[in-house]
Amino acid sequence: MGRIQNRIRRLRFDHNEMTQEELANSVGCTRQTIIALEQNKYVPSIELAFRVAKAFGVPLEEVFQHEDG
Amino acid sequence: MAPLQKRALYSFIIGLVLTIALIAVLVIQGDITAFDRDPNVRYVMYAVLIGVPLIYGILCDLTLRKPRQIDERDRLIIEKSSRAQWLAVIFLLVVWTIALTEIYHDERQVPVAFLTLIFVSALIISPLAQSLGILLGYWRMNHNG
Repeated sequence: MGRIQNRIRRLRFDHNEMTQEELANSVGCTRQTIIALEQNKYVPSIELAFRVAKAFGVPLEEVFQHEDG
Repeated sequence: MAPLQKRALYSFIIGLVLTIALIAVLVIQGDITAFDRDPNVRYVMYAVLIGVPLIYGILCDLTLRKPRQIDERDRLIIEKSSRAQWLAVIFLLVVWTIALTEIYHDERQVPVAFLTLIFVSALIISPLAQSLGILLGYWRMNHNG
């Protein structure tokens, strides 16, 4: 089984150092979930993944990558 | 700490304190017949019967009512925690059944006070187990992903 990695932390800093709270508010989840996502401790649903990509204005694959394990 | 995690922690502490308090009341009073003898013990039990669902309901409502307090990750943890909840209740009932059968087997009858005790214990163990399940769910997710 592979692993889902993400670039959320990098993208936040690229977007005017957006805070975790701001991202959480814009995608409709808690800040704790953003923290878990950034630490790769939680794999989001497809819907949340799309919302995160939309918040950054980038395609889904620019945020989330699947790594073969 | 996530809002749901906070709520679970408060529920767990309240449940634990109630359990210890109930056991302490029964130990101080001597035995289960205190329930029949002493109206104060009965009132304590009735207070628990009403108080536990009330406190649990208020805590749940306070957490769930505010917008963006709970998201998909929290819901996933709640779903998983319900397994701990029903397993704990089933286990409790099994323990009660075996214990009462063995203790009162020769007498062929069980004191009526146990009806309330079984119900109260199930009422306490249910949110207690769910809270523990939620706390363990967060712990597992934070450690194992």
